Amino acid sequence: MPMPALDIEKIKKEIIDSQLWRSVFRGGLWKDTPRDRAGHIIGNVWLHLHPVKVRPRALKWAYSWGMGGISFALYLLLTITGVVLMFYYRPTIGLAYRDIKDLEFAVTLGMFLRNAHRWAAQAMVVAVIAHMVRVFLTGAYKKPREFNWGIGVLLLTLTLFLSFTGYLLPWDQLAIWAVTVGTNMAGATPVLGNEGPLGSLVGMRINNDVRFTLLGGTMVGENTLLRFYVMHCVAVPLVVGILLILHFWRIRKDSFSAAPYEANEEKIDVWPHLVKREYIGAAGTTIFIMIWSILQNAPLEAIANPNVTTNPSKAPWYFVGLQELLVYFDPWIAGVVMPGLIIVGLIAIPYIDTNPKGVGYYAWKERPFANTLFMLGVVMWFALIYIGYALRGPNYAWYWPWESWFMNKPAPPPTWSVFGPKGVGAYSMLIGIPLMGAIASAWMLLPKLIQKELDGKKTMGAFLGLLALWAGVGMAMGKMGAIQGGYLLFFVGASFYFGFVLPQRHIRTLDWPRYLVTMVLVVSTMSVLLKMCANLAFNIKYVLTIPAISMNI
Amino acid sequence: MSETNPNPAPEPSPEPAKPVVPAAAPVAAAPKPLAPKKDMSRGDFLWAGWGMLAAFLAATAAAGARFMFPNVIYEPSQKFNAGAAATYDLGVSTKWLNEQRVWIVRTPSGFYAMWARCTHLGCTPNWWGDQNRFKCPCHGSNYTLDGDVIAGPAPMPLWRAKVMLAATGDLIVDKAVLENKPGKREQAPYFADYAPS
Repeated sequence: MPMPALDIEKIKKEIIDSQLWRSVFRGGLWKDTPRDRAGHIIGNVWLHLHPVKVRPRALKWAYSWGMGGISFALYLLLTITGVVLMFYYRPTIGLAYRDIKDLEFAVTLGMFLRNAHRWAAQAMVVAVIAHMVRVFLTGAYKKPREFNWGIGVLLLTLTLFLSFTGYLLPWDQLAIWAVTVGTNMAGATPVLGNEGPLGSLVGMRINNDVRFTLLGGTMVGENTLLRFYVMHCVAVPLVVGILLILHFWRIRKDSFSAAPYEANEEKIDVWPHLVKREYIGAAGTTIFIMIWSILQNAPLEAIANPNVTTNPSKAPWYFVGLQELLVYFDPWIAGVVMPGLIIVGLIAIPYIDTNPKGVGYYAWKERPFANTLFMLGVVMWFALIYIGYALRGPNYAWYWPWESWFMNKPAPPPTWSVFGPKGVGAYSMLIGIPLMGAIASAWMLLPKLIQKELDGKKTMGAFLGLLALWAGVGMAMGKMGAIQGGYLLFFVGASFYFGFVLPQRHIRTLDWPRYLVTMVLVVSTMSVLLKMCANLAFNIKYVLTIPAISMNI
Repeated sequence: MSETNPNPAPEPSPEPAKPVVPAAAPVAAAPKPLAPKKDMSRGDFLWAGWGMLAAFLAATAAAGARFMFPNVIYEPSQKFNAGAAATYDLGVSTKWLNEQRVWIVRTPSGFYAMWARCTHLGCTPNWWGDQNRFKCPCHGSNYTLDGDVIAGPAPMPLWRAKVMLAATGDLIVDKAVLENKPGKREQAPYFADYAPS
């Protein structure tokens, strides 16, 4: 007897018309009309934060890079893998490391899930930074999206903080020393930390300052592990979730994309065009993380030893730039003021950038100053990461890529300070502060005070000529080698170009408050280049030091 | 509110009440047995309410912050017995580094105990006898045998812990009592004289 042919359409209709289906999914049979498509977005709780229609320009991968969506997909992936890992992990000193070992060797899929959690976290850091770069380059933070950019900056900060709290949990050597260094930076906070400037003056001690609350003790211990566990698994993800809702809500309210309107542009349906892309992005991300997690295992060092540090000891790659910065500046500057300035500066960008051009498209020529300075900051951050990651060996000494880490480096030469008690110019108060103040204020004010635009090539040429003269005289007197001369030309020349020539050309017409805020950020960025030059080429520890108040620059 | 106040707009309602207040003041001064109560205007009442809410929230925040400071912490004792002084040779001993994070340094005239915590950001440096230096693996700080910073970012010398020679001939080290100022750190209790004949 032949089998009766299956009438798929009839079965489909019966299923969809059943009471069960109808009770779960609103709406009738799918006919793919514009009304159906709109209804699909409006009537679905998960999709209704989308608009119904969207401009086709906003959907192009080449425009959006899909990085915001991919960041969110990674956040969801991290939530799922994280919750699953919590079933086998106990946050106590005696058990944490053993539980991670169990996850690696005794729990089915434990290794895979831990890998996925680790790699998704690192991918999320990359994706969030890429998202920020894209939004910057397309000018999408400008009016009316200033506030949402600020929320985005906070989300980036919290992404990094989630990574920071997460890597204590395995309780291995990387964990304990990264957190020891990180929390000691908090202890160097001015006023609020016991080792920070003015801290001891207001009565901060090792057992009552901001570091003490972070650790729940005076050293990284049982309380710290529990605190970081709670922050990592509950408190911070909750805050991130709330900010994400705000972030998405504002995207929707601020007309979804900054891509400018074009004449005769016809909007297309979000279902399926945008939802499809989001699905592809999320699915691609998941597959990418799965393959990565199969191919490579997450690192796990030896069990934490609070008394002995591995040599060299390095932070996870996204914090190595900060670690490298700490070589050149005191902890309260490199670890507190500079990260704070980066966060505040990023949030301030939409309010100081008054250039109305370049909203919603890549416009290097229309926004040369903003794009150059922002990208310089991003490049410097990754250059510092490269130096810290690839060029630092045992004892955190400088090793070129072709030098073996087994080669024992000679002891670094003694450092010296320019203005300070043991410095060359001993009178830091009398000469150092007025001189540095004069240089800093001249640098801040001159680009605007010189009303006429200087010829960039001539100015730069003259400045490089002076530097070359300086280097030449130094070499002739035997006080400088060729490498030091090269460092001088590169670092000081670069800071003059980015910190003086460009502002003079592009922002001297800005109003004073915005101009000054911009110059504070520009000069701080350049001070990193200058201090690197002073330290790497000339062994200068401080340009100015007043030990009594821990004022060391 | 709207039942007692026929005014449709809520804003003007406190206005008529205002003249009552100064008018009531002299009445209150008069020796009348029943002074009329000084009415609080609706606006003032609301401000007082907001003020109390703000005070409540501030107090809650302060209490929450205080909650995060533990009153009792369970951390190991900072005092330990470093064994017989006679067993140490001249120079830096790393014997107690792994357990107590301390280098015992013997000089011709006695002992000092250096706390192996980099004053930069708290990593443990390593002793390199061939170069006579302590070098930190985290940011490259270098210290001399005395603990003074010679290179790298560390802001001040290494700390020395209180060290005493017990009657038994053992060295007792207390890491809770620290000193790193030249001149002070070379004297008791941060230096234990020991010169056996």
